[in-house]
Amino acid sequence: MSDKQHTLHSARRLGRLMSRYYLSSRYHSLWGPLLRRPLAWVTSGAPVEILRVFGIHPFYPENYGALCGARRASLALCQAAEARGYSQDLCSYARCHLGSLFSPEHAPLKKLPPPDLLVACNNICGTVLKWYEELARRLRVPLLFIDTPFIAGELEDRAVAYVQEQLRAMVEELSRLTGRRWDAARARRIMGLSNEAVLLWREIRYMGRHRPSPLNAPDLFIHMAPIVVLRGTPQAVHYYRLLLSEVRERVKKGIAAVPGERVRLLWDNIAIWYRLNRFFRFFAERGACFVTDTYTGGWDTEMAVREDPLESLAEAYAGIFLNRSLQFRVRQMVELIRDFAVDGFVMHSNRSCKPYSLVQEEIRRQVVEQTGIPGLVVEADQTDPRAFAEETVLNRAQAFLEALAL
Amino acid sequence: MKKKFFCGVDIGSLTTKVVLLDAKGEMVSRAWARSGYAGKEVAHRLLSGMLEKVGARQEEVTVVATGYGRVTYPADREFSEISCQARAIARLFPAARTVIDIGGQDSKVIRISPQGRVLDFAMNDKCAAGTGRFLEVMAQALEVPVEELGHLAEKSSRPLCISSTCTVFAESEVVSCIARGEPKEDIVAGICAAVAARVLALAERVGLEPEVVFTGGVARNKGVVKAMRERYARALAIPPEPEITAALGAALLAMDLGTERK
Repeated sequence: MSDKQHTLHSARRLGRLMSRYYLSSRYHSLWGPLLRRPLAWVTSGAPVEILRVFGIHPFYPENYGALCGARRASLALCQAAEARGYSQDLCSYARCHLGSLFSPEHAPLKKLPPPDLLVACNNICGTVLKWYEELARRLRVPLLFIDTPFIAGELEDRAVAYVQEQLRAMVEELSRLTGRRWDAARARRIMGLSNEAVLLWREIRYMGRHRPSPLNAPDLFIHMAPIVVLRGTPQAVHYYRLLLSEVRERVKKGIAAVPGERVRLLWDNIAIWYRLNRFFRFFAERGACFVTDTYTGGWDTEMAVREDPLESLAEAYAGIFLNRSLQFRVRQMVELIRDFAVDGFVMHSNRSCKPYSLVQEEIRRQVVEQTGIPGLVVEADQTDPRAFAEETVLNRAQAFLEALAL
Repeated sequence: MKKKFFCGVDIGSLTTKVVLLDAKGEMVSRAWARSGYAGKEVAHRLLSGMLEKVGARQEEVTVVATGYGRVTYPADREFSEISCQARAIARLFPAARTVIDIGGQDSKVIRISPQGRVLDFAMNDKCAAGTGRFLEVMAQALEVPVEELGHLAEKSSRPLCISSTCTVFAESEVVSCIARGEPKEDIVAGICAAVAARVLALAERVGLEPEVVFTGGVARNKGVVKAMRERYARALAIPPEPEITAALGAALLAMDLGTERK
């Protein structure tokens, strides 16, 4: 059972794709201003399709935070931010990113390509508002902010209208900043590319419904990068076509992500990036495969086609799951458990991500009640390794797996 | 070779417990000692002593290890303490549906099925509050042996409120209570109440279905037991030797392994 056997061949292609993306970010920061193709630092839930219409290159500090975690550079960067007075309770993606500004020598990719503007949307959390305001003050660049009201029940027309109004203002502002005009046809094309990639990603995720599953959660976490940073580009579509065909091939040949799969699990919340492989290996060695998760599914909802592309975007970006009620999230988990024939679920209570984590205990209770399958909560952090006590966490994981097996 | 004995070894963060059962499942011997630096050696020494007494050899024993040091011990198999607790309690208290266990660095609440299966469990946050270690730190601050805390708490008529959940902050709080000249027994009663409140809040996550059994070394502390009973009105059963239940469960699981083989 070598590790090689489990790694998707596409991983190498993914590595090249991501390197090219980071290189092109650097290129944009150098030549962008001259070519009127500015570089924007954006949140993961920002309506990137609008930026692409204006030829703006998006750079994702959150994705960068995950990278810092995976490369074990996050601790030094978090500490660099804390030394400047940022609280340890602040999101560790924010601390990694801010830390990279203060200590580029500790930062992967060294000095990040500086932005010409910032775009943030609070559909994923409230932290991004203060994080990006801080960046705007420090870097003296304009900040465009989209406010998406929290959706307690159904997504209402007035909420969509409110967001759509802001997107319209954003379009005007970007038009002024870049000297380019809004092109609705181009917007539709880009949104079409987004949808295409999103649907491919969804189909790839659905492959986990097979028994044995061809994918384990770490595969999903690694291969989600293009759907985040290259959404709306032909490269993302191309990449996911290749990945889908590889995963299909696995299914056809009956290749399991976890050989001898005995237990099928669901993962809730962001990955523990600095322990990604080691953590999931503990489960894999015991025949447990995470066949699905709630996090990477955040990018598998397609945009509806409306007459005004801004309306489609408003609807899609206001409606993402982290901006939704507890009931919505319970329903989502219950459906995943049913569709993927899941035996148990593990929730990562992620110290960094408050909107994701604060409601987990109640979600857990309701999901257990509705499905009858057990759920475990483990405490950690997406990128701050100090918040992770491996011994304690694995001890619980073992007890959980024993309870599933005995 | 047919196994004549079944042994459970529980190498905990503070103490190591060993239980030996005969082929019929009757307890032949049990012992415990501080884990110290080398829990594995402590366990080995305890088991060797037992085997010598009953005149048995190592090969005649099936051993299951549990506790934080379980992977270090050359046992036939290892199980988490949760599974072991559930197994033991199902044997000792067939009507039990909930186990509250407070050990050295963990407190846990386990809900079990009538067959002794683990249905759900919750453990303390990554924090020493509500554990035996918390009580040890407070005993040190008060300069009383940890075994004395229970008796002292019983004498209190007006327990103080220790509001900090963090062990380090609670210790400072206790130090300032001492400085204010508060009676020792009231401080101790406050400490015990803090542990009880913390653990019962944890228990709500999985639900406190009766009967409830209280295990772990801290179940010997009368102050904590009293505080638990005050907050949880229904019956709270305590095994006569509450610290060895996980080791007993491990020994019973060792027996189950034997039957599986046949």
